[in-house]
Amino acid sequence: MTAMTAKTTSRSLLGTAIPYLLAILASFAAAGIFIALMGFDVLRAYSTILFTSFRTANGFIQTLLKFVPLLLQALAFTIPLTAGKFNIGGEGQLLAGAIGSTAVGIAFSHLPPALLLPLVILAGVAAGALWGLIPGWLLYRFGINEILTTVLLNFVAFSLVNYVATGPWRDQGAGHPMTVAIGEGGFLPMLINNPPLNAGIIVAIIVAALVYFYTTRTVAGYELVATGANPRAAKTFGIKTRLMFISSLVIAGAVGGLSGALEVAGVQHRLIEGMQSNFLVLGLIIGLIAKGNNLAVPFIAFFISVLEVGASAMQRTLLIPVEMVFIVEALILVFVLLSDVVRRR
Amino acid sequence: MDAILVSIVAYAKLILLSMVPFVLAGQGTMLGGRTGVFNVAQEGIMLVGASVGFLVSYLSGSIVLGMAAAMAAGALFGLALAYFTTHLKMDQFVIGLALFFIGVGLSTLLPKLIIGVTLTPPLVPTLKDLPVPLLSKIPLLGEIFFNQNVLVYVSILVSVALWWYLYRTKLGLELRSVGENPQAADSLGINVTRARYWSAIIGGMMIGLAGAYLPMVYTGTFTEGMVKGRGWLAIALTFFGGWKPLTILYGAAFFATIEVLAYRVQVVGTGIPYQFLLMLPYLATIVVMILTFGKTRAPAFLGQNYDRERRAL
Amino acid sequence: MVILRMEGIRKAFGGVPALDGVHFELHPNEIHGLLGGNGAGKTTLMNILFGLYRMDSGDVFLHSKKISISAPRDAIAQRINMVHQHFLQVDSFTVLENILMGAPLKESLTMRFGEEEKKIAAIQKRFGLEIDLGATLGDLPMGTRQKVEILKALYRGVEILILDEPTTNLTPQEVDALFLSLREMVKEGLSIVFITHKLREVLSVCDRITVLRNGRNVTTLRKGEAPEEEFVRGMVGEEMNLEKSILFSGIRESRAAPLPGGEALLKLEGAGLRTADGLQRLKELSFEVRPGEIFGVAGVAGNGQTELAELVLGLQPPTAGRVLVSGRDVRERTTAQLLGEDVAYIPEDRLHDGFLPKANIAQNLILGAQRSRPYSNGWLIDWKTVFASAQEMIAQYHIKTAGPGEVGGNLSGGNIQRVMIARAFSREAPLLVAHNPTRGLDIPSMDFVYSKFLERKAAGRASLLISEDLDELLLLCDRIGVIYKGEILGILPREKFEKYAIGQLMSGVRREA
Repeated sequence: MTAMTAKTTSRSLLGTAIPYLLAILASFAAAGIFIALMGFDVLRAYSTILFTSFRTANGFIQTLLKFVPLLLQALAFTIPLTAGKFNIGGEGQLLAGAIGSTAVGIAFSHLPPALLLPLVILAGVAAGALWGLIPGWLLYRFGINEILTTVLLNFVAFSLVNYVATGPWRDQGAGHPMTVAIGEGGFLPMLINNPPLNAGIIVAIIVAALVYFYTTRTVAGYELVATGANPRAAKTFGIKTRLMFISSLVIAGAVGGLSGALEVAGVQHRLIEGMQSNFLVLGLIIGLIAKGNNLAVPFIAFFISVLEVGASAMQRTLLIPVEMVFIVEALILVFVLLSDVVRRR
Repeated sequence: MDAILVSIVAYAKLILLSMVPFVLAGQGTMLGGRTGVFNVAQEGIMLVGASVGFLVSYLSGSIVLGMAAAMAAGALFGLALAYFTTHLKMDQFVIGLALFFIGVGLSTLLPKLIIGVTLTPPLVPTLKDLPVPLLSKIPLLGEIFFNQNVLVYVSILVSVALWWYLYRTKLGLELRSVGENPQAADSLGINVTRARYWSAIIGGMMIGLAGAYLPMVYTGTFTEGMVKGRGWLAIALTFFGGWKPLTILYGAAFFATIEVLAYRVQVVGTGIPYQFLLMLPYLATIVVMILTFGKTRAPAFLGQNYDRERRAL
Repeated sequence: MVILRMEGIRKAFGGVPALDGVHFELHPNEIHGLLGGNGAGKTTLMNILFGLYRMDSGDVFLHSKKISISAPRDAIAQRINMVHQHFLQVDSFTVLENILMGAPLKESLTMRFGEEEKKIAAIQKRFGLEIDLGATLGDLPMGTRQKVEILKALYRGVEILILDEPTTNLTPQEVDALFLSLREMVKEGLSIVFITHKLREVLSVCDRITVLRNGRNVTTLRKGEAPEEEFVRGMVGEEMNLEKSILFSGIRESRAAPLPGGEALLKLEGAGLRTADGLQRLKELSFEVRPGEIFGVAGVAGNGQTELAELVLGLQPPTAGRVLVSGRDVRERTTAQLLGEDVAYIPEDRLHDGFLPKANIAQNLILGAQRSRPYSNGWLIDWKTVFASAQEMIAQYHIKTAGPGEVGGNLSGGNIQRVMIARAFSREAPLLVAHNPTRGLDIPSMDFVYSKFLERKAAGRASLLISEDLDELLLLCDRIGVIYKGEILGILPREKFEKYAIGQLMSGVRREA
């Protein structure tokens, strides 16, 4: 880019940051009033939320472990959003990926790491991509709205997980539905052993960088952006928009599946019912706060990870329910959207 | 013979009973959409309705108060949606998602704050059947149609009333015109903003009530995520019901039938793993969406905000 | 004697002034022409009177009494009504429903409208507006839909009727009929404001004329009080050189290349288009466009013009016959390849079909060429080159923007159209397909586009100009084909151009051989 545009970006960077900061302040203030009314100590609550990640090594690593699935779930949402399509099926894709990874990890548990680990990851990615292909194909072939199909497939995935986790692979010793562990060859290598941090974070960051490069520098990425900016015009000018839709949903599914694979290979080492946690909604919140900007996603994902780790600590030590922080996150989104309205006027 | 008849009656009664959340949520969605306000927060609003409805009837001991509270909560969400989209002109889908998130969060936060975390969840009495005098004595049909809880009657009456209002009155014609071409409506003196507010608020009330139905009729208590996608299914129902009250009513019967069947087959026990039966409502919805695609039409201005002063470029 | 007076009207959109202290007076029983180019503020002024826009400051007096209008219902109550250029109608409702919605009737909980129907029928008889009240609006042709709008206004009781560019979708014959019925209405006691950018129309039908330019009054004159040139000068301003203007000087001939020859760049051989559900959109089209030729397609909107453009661009393959671009069947190449190699395109509906409001100007300018050099190597986009050439186009085509990085949605309508023009003409493609390329442009910009067409002609390139503005076609084209219901009813060479003959074809009447 030219020098002139570089200058405008740096100036607008500040212009973008201020509304975000105001939005964060406003939502903390709004929630703070509520917390105070409930009779809790607001200052302690907020210092717990904001600083737990940075007080101890363990806290920081917990944050990084949260960051991986959140980043990938957010990207699974923003990639189709670039083409103007809404993928609300990230958790279904995560679970499909987790099932794929677990199945391969258990079925070939004797294989050496050099073989099994790539297989486990690939199986997860492929299963996720397949889960994204279904709504993609329904959209491509019949023009059926992807929002509903992606959501509905989440519920299908829940049942599927329950089926697998209570089937022959069930871990009989556990009270909660889960499978036995995959072969050790399928475990992701550790970057740090204590507190444990697996290599998933490197994969996630590489994926985020690739997505950014793809959408901003390549011809296919341009066509994806053009499709999202105005599908009719893109089509009129020769872009195969339906192909853009289906491919973006398949890529999103693959990224969502990867988030499941990394959870299995890196953290849980098995399929557990409910392992999707609330990653989907957090991913959506991240993607929407970022307004679909793939460069902003990693930073916001990290911030939300900090809040989430802080929220658990707050529930443990101050007995304030974690949902309080979730409301704060949703409010940040609302205030960010409001700041757009203010700027428009 | 008698045994079969009895079980058919039992099924039919159960289907009517299970229709209610779909009917109420579907008609609520339809009503908002008819003025162009596309609500996608159903899942969240229903959860809040379930949570608030349960809490208020638990604390007050009155189911009626509980329902009223659920409707009020739904109305608030509808009001918020209307305000954000008519006055602030925010993207309807995005703000709908945000409201969905807030609904999900509030629905579990409120019980935790008010009741706390308990091992055995507290229960409220469930809604009793209210037989209609005389009519409930009709053999077979009386048991199916006139020996139900009050919301079964309400949901069917509301559907018919909405049909009459939209298609048989001039006021309904004008309401529909807002969702078809708000500028045309505006230029003829119809108050677009007011129509959008009311339809979104009343729609939200109905969706909130649909949520409250779940603890008050099915479980007697609130559990996290108990709506289980019914809110999303209601959106699908509205779409393939062509945004028409009566078609939505029939569509809700279809959903209820599948839900009842999936549940019954599971109890009876067949070779099919029950998890696959649980998938049935979602898969059936996708199939129906394929089958009805292109055969129904949504309001022309659905999901779009109206800005009187936006210049035609 | 003044029935309506507007004084010191100011209105800005997003900080940009659209009206800057305009005054306007309407006399009873007159047809008052509101004349100006696009962006002059004519429609904005009348939308304020009708209550669709709120003025920032100013006063409105009706019968010398100050009135305040904050919504259309206030205007209707004051017996002021407006027929918009883009009709404000609900396509899925019947004519009757469209007329009655919003009307204050006692019967609002039923749909029994018998009495009102009688009233409407009486009005129809009086003004000769024959329309089937039970017909669904979306099925009606444009001319009839306009009658519905007028009927809507008359039914509500109207003293001041505003018509915004009412001749846009009419044939010359229909225009004459409209003018006659306007005269009839004035006799019945109405006063009419007639918004247009066409001087000839105001001179033929209006009693007095107000000229606006850039949101300001230029002059108000009685017809015949001043020569034509004064109105022209008022519309375009002092800067424009009328001598060099193609639009006003008619010096096209001197600039035009000699008669076109050579291999046709576009050739249709019995091309037809039938939709999947059996509707015949285009029927046996056969014509060719040669190098250095501007071939015009005239017709009332919706007679297959869009489909014709899509056929040439390969967006829809012909279901019968052949379409050849530079001698090659369009089916051999994808739309992307055609756009990258031989064709440039200006779509009709620029906002929906041609523009990316959420993308920046640079991204907009390369749409369709993103796979070709110098913008990309087929895989990666060279943003440095893209931005550099975007800068050039912005300067050359007078696009008012902060730079290539600005988001497209910030541009005004006229500037969006300039982006389309820049994209299409800068490609220097052998064939240009342009559909209503000057709609929404102010007069100097229109003239600029015309000069670009003539440049293409001089350079031996071919242009297919599809336009609903007959004057534009008569001015620029070498030949004009008239399309009606998907069929070309006749092709006229320049020496046989005649407005009413073309108008007859436009309404589907074939010429006697």
